[in-house]
Amino acid sequence: MAFLDDALEVTSRRHGNVTVIDIKGDVTTFADAKITEAYTAATEAGAQKLVLNFHHSNYINSAGIAILIRIVTSCGRHGQKLAMSGLNEHFQKIFRMVGLSQYADIHETEEQAVAALTGA
Amino acid sequence: MRRPWSSKRARSTEQPIELRLPSCLGYEKVAMDTAAVIAERMGFGPDRVAGLRTAVSEAVTNAIEHGNQGVRNAEVHVVMAIQDDTLIICVRDQNYHQFDRSYGIQRPDLQRALRGEDVGWGMWLIRQFVDEVEFTGVPNGGNEVRMVLRA
Repeated sequence: MAFLDDALEVTSRRHGNVTVIDIKGDVTTFADAKITEAYTAATEAGAQKLVLNFHHSNYINSAGIAILIRIVTSCGRHGQKLAMSGLNEHFQKIFRMVGLSQYADIHETEEQAVAALTGA
Repeated sequence: MRRPWSSKRARSTEQPIELRLPSCLGYEKVAMDTAAVIAERMGFGPDRVAGLRTAVSEAVTNAIEHGNQGVRNAEVHVVMAIQDDTLIICVRDQNYHQFDRSYGIQRPDLQRALRGEDVGWGMWLIRQFVDEVEFTGVPNGGNEVRMVLRA
């Protein structure tokens, strides 16, 4: 049965020199391929500043956290700056508890995240 | 706020709610949504309900992935009981593989995770969001995670 496992859409767009990866849906183990694929494509295209935008995501579990930790690790390896936006209060809290906020600034909105990355 | 279980007497006599879920990732959402509805109706605030959703999600996911080890014809049994102002949720698997019940007492090491080591966050997250958690076994085999949320 797979009717609960495909509720995810990941798309990328440019906002100046920042790549915004929109994550719409559940960030669980099923999200791994799509998020990794979007991040890898952005990296191969030369992205140095990225925003993971969770505005349309309201379910992130521990498997999703593990995916994001791998992205953080890869960003460090590639010298990329990473920010996150659109997380609700609960997931902002979890990201702080886990320690992810030490490696990626967390902003309320995409606009704030882009501004922080560009120094605007 | 709508509270159908507004009196202690009414709450304490509610029948437990039981779910028998296919042991398949994705079905943890059924359990967490059900738990959230009950907790909201009991009057728990948004922060606590959000935390409960995470705890239930992780408990059921653990049961599917680690307890039942992905065996597709297994099931996960979830029982939710209201005792006065307390919500008790038990998640049971069929124990194809017993998991380490002491796991998650210490916060997982993010540095190890950043180095690519396999670090599980689920049981630690459960412990962060409920007032009491107990990892035990049940007589006919199976792991049981008993979570308590108090008003």
